[in-house]
Parts: sequence; structure tokens; C-alpha cells
Amino acid sequence: MYLCTGKILRVNLTTRKISTLSTSDYKEWLGGHGLAVALFFDLVKAKSVGAFDPGNTLVIAPSYFSGSLVPAACRTEMVGIQAQSYPYEWFTRTNVGGRFANMCKYAGFDAIVLEGAAEKPTWINIVDSDVELVDATNLWGLDTVDTQKVIFKNVIGSAGYGKWRATKKGETIQRPAVLTIGPAGENRSRLGTVMTDMGNAFGQGGFGGVWGSKNLKAISVLGTGSVEVANPDELMQARIWAEKNYGADVDNPRINAWQEFITSHFGGHPNRGWAPYDQQRRASGCTGCHLNCRPRTSSGYGNESICVDALYYQNWDLSKHGKITEITGYAADLAQRLGINSFELHTELAYLKALYDKGVLGRGMKIDTDLPFEKIGEAEFIQQLLTQIAYRKGIGNDIAEGIPRAAQRWGRYREDTESGIMAAMFWGYPVHYDTRAEVYWGYASIVGARDINCHDFNVPAYWMPSLDIPAKKTPIVTAEQVAKWVGEMPPYHDPEMMNFATSNIYSVHMARTTAWLLHYSTFWKQTCGLCDNAFADFVNPYGPNNRGITPEGELKFFKAATGRKISFEESLEMGRKMHNLSKAIWTLQGRHRDMEVFPDYVFSVDTEGTSYVPGEPPSYYMPTKENGKWDYRNVVPRHLDRKKFEEWKTRYYELEGWDPKTGWQKEKVLKDLGLDKAASELKATGKLK
Amino acid sequence: MGKDNGETKHNGMTRRDFVKISTTVAAALGGAAALTLPSRAQAADTQTAPASKKFLIVDQKKCAGCMSCMLACSMVHEGSSNLSSARIQIIDDSFAEFPNDVEIAVCRQCADPACYYACPLQDKALCIDPKTGVRYINKKECIGCRKCIEACHFTPSRISFNLKHKVALKCDMCQDTPFWKQTGKQACVEVCPQNAIKFTSEQPCGHKEYNVNMRGQGWAKLGLPTD
Ligand code: SF4
Ligand code: SF4
Repeated sequence: MYLCTGKILRVNLTTRKISTLSTSDYKEWLGGHGLAVALFFDLVKAKSVGAFDPGNTLVIAPSYFSGSLVPAACRTEMVGIQAQSYPYEWFTRTNVGGRFANMCKYAGFDAIVLEGAAEKPTWINIVDSDVELVDATNLWGLDTVDTQKVIFKNVIGSAGYGKWRATKKGETIQRPAVLTIGPAGENRSRLGTVMTDMGNAFGQGGFGGVWGSKNLKAISVLGTGSVEVANPDELMQARIWAEKNYGADVDNPRINAWQEFITSHFGGHPNRGWAPYDQQRRASGCTGCHLNCRPRTSSGYGNESICVDALYYQNWDLSKHGKITEITGYAADLAQRLGINSFELHTELAYLKALYDKGVLGRGMKIDTDLPFEKIGEAEFIQQLLTQIAYRKGIGNDIAEGIPRAAQRWGRYREDTESGIMAAMFWGYPVHYDTRAEVYWGYASIVGARDINCHDFNVPAYWMPSLDIPAKKTPIVTAEQVAKWVGEMPPYHDPEMMNFATSNIYSVHMARTTAWLLHYSTFWKQTCGLCDNAFADFVNPYGPNNRGITPEGELKFFKAATGRKISFEESLEMGRKMHNLSKAIWTLQGRHRDMEVFPDYVFSVDTEGTSYVPGEPPSYYMPTKENGKWDYRNVVPRHLDRKKFEEWKTRYYELEGWDPKTGWQKEKVLKDLGLDKAASELKATGKLK
Repeated sequence: MGKDNGETKHNGMTRRDFVKISTTVAAALGGAAALTLPSRAQAADTQTAPASKKFLIVDQKKCAGCMSCMLACSMVHEGSSNLSSARIQIIDDSFAEFPNDVEIAVCRQCADPACYYACPLQDKALCIDPKTGVRYINKKECIGCRKCIEACHFTPSRISFNLKHKVALKCDMCQDTPFWKQTGKQACVEVCPQNAIKFTSEQPCGHKEYNVNMRGQGWAKLGLPTD
């Protein structure tokens, strides 16, 4: 089997039993997400356990393409019952880059199944298929960086990094790749991340807290093995073809306004907009990447943190000091070290400040805290806040539960989701791209189980027009052309999928946008492992006529690496199958259509958009078709209509072949997809239509 | 605010390079070497090898530490991706400050090829291509004695070892790539997305000429340093 090692590691932390399963039994699920969901489905009998229950099983799976030469594919998936979503702890997925995926395969495993909970702090040491459960008492309490450093020393020994050493099977100068939690995870925070190297996180899902509940501190992998591909020459040619025709030319970059800030496409490049403090110095990449988006700085602060993890404290720093200082980088570093989800921190800070300004939160206030809000923007404030969260001190004990649960404890949930000052938008996750404007983002999140975080349409449909137009630049591709390219995609062949006019946002076209995003992402990004920062690639300033590499690139890589020629339609069908398996798990957990709703403010308060150009009013430019004419138009202010959203849900369920009354799957759909096991499990619980 | 350093560099040379070369020099000056016969590597200056006409030069500050070069090198020579089989090695430290966070360890096709002198099967196992002067290993003849690995001037040794087949693996400037149909190209150069590795036919002299600044105006446009 190409791209696979053939073995899946199964560790029972309660009984300390270590065993293996054969990957060939899961051949059709390929790797990454597909493999992880299939393993979860088969191995977990009680799927409705709580996140912190020892019965919660986690599956970690390097992506199918990882370990090979396919670019931007060193991604690892983890699935299990999450701690972050509110009010229900849904089964979900999370994903990380860095070096782990490749190294895990070189160490001999296509996936790691974690069952039970260890009696005392434990880490797992994997070297070339040898697996050992090690006492982690000496690591418990250490931050994510120090933990990794201790483990590096332990595994590498005295020779040090960068010297040849022999394992049982080979020789290497490399150091292991380590997944670890920090103090936040140890203290079962629902904001706890699982980190690897400096800036790579399994960020969403609160899985750091789940690891903490299992007394699992770290997993280290070091391997000297190989990943075989079907046709090495073809893969080399495909990689060179992709880089030359679609990759950024770092010696002669083509930069428009939007690319100053956004790099999420195959031709993306390292960019100062992602981490402006202390000047970004090195563009650094996950293993095998062609894009290399992560900054490393001369102070070391904020190394490898990009986007929100690098920026969450920036505006506070800026307004305090009149410029972005090293404090922004320090804040990035601290969140990574303590293992705290900075995406949630990003909106949380604004919420806490709003409560402080209202006189509800502060010294001697109803929500009593000694946090020095007058020093917001300074290192001291963020240091105190993060420490309180990580160690559950003061109001940190509430915030460690995530903002919706904290608001619930403070008796503010209803009021603050009606006004929208607490910007939780889908299952308690903070707003990312606003559902009221970029509707499919919220739709995919709410019919899923987390902030969907898939930027496939987001670059051509939002960032490009929304940054270029206010800056008085003309987007390199017209709205009509974007719609045409998306409209070429099977299975829907529907340009109206890109029409974000209010008249179209509850239509079957928007149901297709949502389904396409879910099926494409499940297969190509979460299973094969193509990074969301590079794929899907519709608009690309390096491509012919600014056209991106999708779908030609994906198919070329698949063919070269596996020897199998598949059509794009088949790939989306496989994504649909994998997505249906997750859907079956949600239904078994108790999901019903009535639960899939946004908080009140989404239906009553307008979003205004954002102002990126000083002096320009806030806006949200997207492709729309009005009176038969495509253009980029400002779609805000806008809020959603509750009744029409319910109608949209019906259209979406019907498109997926699900029952519109309950949102549950139908037996025929599952059987046609070959998901017979899921069908019978659902039938036994009376949740199959 | 400051963070603890990774390995610091001196005069553009890493501490690792520095220590290894200092030791060699000390030994050659008669310290430890006085007790034993000089090794073939230490006797290097008494031999002359024809010069190579193919070299790789790199920009350590431009490199992204992505290891794509390693994966490609292994792919074209072995037909699979394997970090241990790569003839070029990247040492990448997430926690260190720029520029001490990345080191490209690449064979220099040295004018004074200690590996070649050390090989007991000189010209059979460790060979010099008569046309191009490239120093390469003939896997079929290699007996896996590791002498070349030990003799290499650098740390880590630019020659790796395949434990399973007991053969040494060395950069051959991609003269023999059984798994990649091409002529005269180098896999690492072709694949490197940062254009941080270049081919040259001019013999570089010393650390500075192997490690050059390839960062021009385009790099500056990305907000990245060119100094
Ligand atoms: S491919 Fe280029 S950028 Fe990546 S590690 Fe190698 S030399 Fe550095
Ligand atoms: S020139 Fe070829 S053999 Fe030498 S390091 Fe580069 S890829 Fe490997």
C-alpha cells in the first residue's frame, strides 16, 4: 500500500496495553481524517460519552499524502469527543502542521488510537515502531516548549541535535516530533491546545483539556523509515510543475493589496501581514511545504505563530503604544507555551473588555477580578490573564471553560448572545467569518460541529475583493470569472454557488456551496492532508490567467503518489462518504435538526463588516449577481432571517439526501455509500429514516 | 525580553563546524596525532584529487527549513521519501532565534575530499567522476566501513549511512537518479521553493563562498531581510 506504513498503533492508557491494527483493513479510508473517523466509529461503542470521560477515544492520523513529496501535506488529524463546543460536546476533528505527520509515518504508524486514561502523568515514546509508556511526572507542570526540550534530550541522548545516531533500524540526525499539552491542558481547560514545535497547534476542540483528563502529557515520534509512492518520477515532475506554474516566485513576488495580508492559496508566500512584530525574519515551513508561511523572528518571540495566534493581542498593543511592539510576539509565545487556544482569546478579550467598560467585570464588581484592565496592551495584563486561565485562578477558572460556559456561570449568556457582545457564533465557537455576510461559513459550521475553518472560497469571495476594493485596486479576477471557475466544479456545475446577494443566500445554490466545501475539504484537506492555507486554489496570481491549481493539481498528486487515477467527482464522492460517517456519529450523540441554530443576535443584529483602509467605512465585498450582472458588492449591513434560514436547512438536508424533519440520514443514502455499519447502528437506536 | 539561544554561529560558521575543524587542526598539529600514525584524512594534503566542476551553494537565511530538498533527494535516489537517506540534511530548530534556527548541511564536493582519501576502496567505492570531478559513492562496491563518514570535515558528516543495506550515501550532484528522468539537474535545486540552493560550476572557496546571500529586491518586497 503506497503512502502507508501498514500499521495502526492502539494504546490503552488505562490498562497500558499496546497493540497494533492493520491499515489494510481500512484501505478505503486512505489516511488522515477518513482513517481516523472510520477507526473511531469501529472502536468506540459508546459514542455519546463526555469529552472528559475515560471512554472518550482519540484517534491521531497523519494525512494520507504526508511523508511523501506532495507539497503542503504534512498535516495530522485528530478526532474524538471535543471539550470546546457549547452547549453539546460534539464529536469533531482538529488538525496540525509542523513535522509530526511525516515523522509519525517514518516511525512506522499510519494512526495512533488512544483509549482510556492513565493513572498518573504519562508520555508515549515511539522510536522506529518501538513504543513505550513513560512516567511524565517530571514533565507535568512544564510548558509546551520546556516539555519538548526535555523529551528531545531524553530521546536523542547526549550526542545532541544534528549528530548522526543509530536507532534499531536506521540512522538519523533529526530530532523527534513531539505533541504536547501545556498547563492549560493539564488543568482540563476547554481552551487547551495540543502543540508541536513552537507555533503549531491542534487548536480548536479543546483537546488539550481532553489529553489532560487522560493524564497524557506528550507523544514523541522519531523514525528512520520510508514512505513509498507509486511513481517517484511522476511525483517529482508534478511537484516541480506545481511550483513552477502555481507557486510564489519569492525572488519576484506579485503582490496586490490582498496579498499583503492573505496568503491562503497555492501561490501564497511568507508575509509580513501575518506577524508584523519585530519584523518577520525567516519564512519557515512545515515538512515538505512549498509555501513556508510561518515566521521566525530575531527575538524568537512568536516563532511559527501566524494569523490569529500571532495577532490576537496586536490591536491592544497598538492602541497602548501607538505601534506594534514585541509585546505582540510575547503574547503569541505565551499562549503557545501555556497551550491556550488563541483564536478564542482573540474575541474573548474584546468581550471581557466590554464587560469591564460596562462596569460588570473588574475589581469589586459583580464579576470580581484583580486583572489590571487599565494595563490592557501591556505584557503584564496578558501574562496575568493567561496565567489565570492556565492555572484556573480567579476568573481564569471560569474562562478556562470557554467563554460561553463562563458567560453561563456569570448569568450573562442569554443577554450577551441577544446583544451579540459575546460573539459566539456556531456551537459556542467565536465568530470567524461572519455568517451574516459570508453565509456558507456559518452554515457549514452549524451543520458540522465546530468553526469550519475552510478558506477555499474565502479568498476569492471575501479577502480579494474586500481588501482590494476599499484600497482602490481592481481584483485580479472578476466576480463573474470567480463564479465561472467555481461553476466548473463537479458535481453541481453551478456558478450561482458564488452569488452572495441577499436574494440567494437561503437558496439551494448556497446549500451546494456548503456541501461542496464540506466534501472537498473532508477528502482533499483533512484526509489527503493538503493544507487549508494552500488549497482549494481558485484564484492564484502565479497561475495562467490568475487561475489556481484546483482541481488539476490535486488529481496529479493523487495519481503520482498512489498510481490510481480518480476523477474529481469521485474524490468529492469519497468526501461525501466520510462526511456522512461523521454525521452518523453526531446523530448517535443525539443531534437533531432543531439543535442546529445560531445564537439570537445572528437573526437580529446587523453585521457592519470591517474597515481595513483608514478613513474607509466598514464593508464586506463579495461576488453577487444582481439584475443578471455579476460584480463584487458590499453585502453588509445584514443579519439573517430565522425562518428563511430554516428553509435553507431543509434544502441542505434534501441535497444531502437526509430527512428534512429531523436532519437524520436515510438508510438508502448510507447503504449506497457503503456505510452499512453506520446504518445498522443508527437503526438500532431508532435514528435512521 | 530575550530567549535562550540555540547554537550560535561564529564568523558565519556554526559552533559545530568550528569545533570539528579546530579538533582536526589540533590533531594535525601534533597533539593527539603524535601518539598514532596520521590517518589518511589527516594526510590529505599529501594527496591531490581532480577538482569537481559541480557544486551547490546555499543561503542559510533564505532556507525555510522545510526539508523538501531532503524528501526530493531521497525520492530521486531511493524511490521513496526518507529523511535518513537524504544526502542533504536540514537542522531546523523551532525554538531558536533567527538566524540561528536553521542550518543546511550539504556536501561541498571538497577540493580536499577527505572522504575520498579515507575510502579503502578508493576509485571503486568512493569515486571521482573523470568528466565532472563529482565525488560520489558506488553503492555496489561500498563495504559499509564508515571511514568516509568519519573522515568528512563537517558535523554532521555530509555522508549518511543506510543501516539496512550497510552502505554509505553521499551527494552525487544528482548524476545518477534512478527514480527521476532528467539530465544535468539537481533535485534539491529544482524543488527548493525558496530558491535557497543553487548550482555552480565555479569552485567556491571557504565557508563564505558556499554560503551566499541570494536575497534580492523581491525578498525585500516580502518584508524579509536581505542583509
Ligand atoms: S528545500 Fe530549500 S527552503 Fe526547504 S529546507 Fe531545503 S534548502 Fe531550505
Ligand atoms: S544535488 Fe542531488 S544528491 Fe546532492 S544533495 Fe541535492 S538532491 Fe541530493
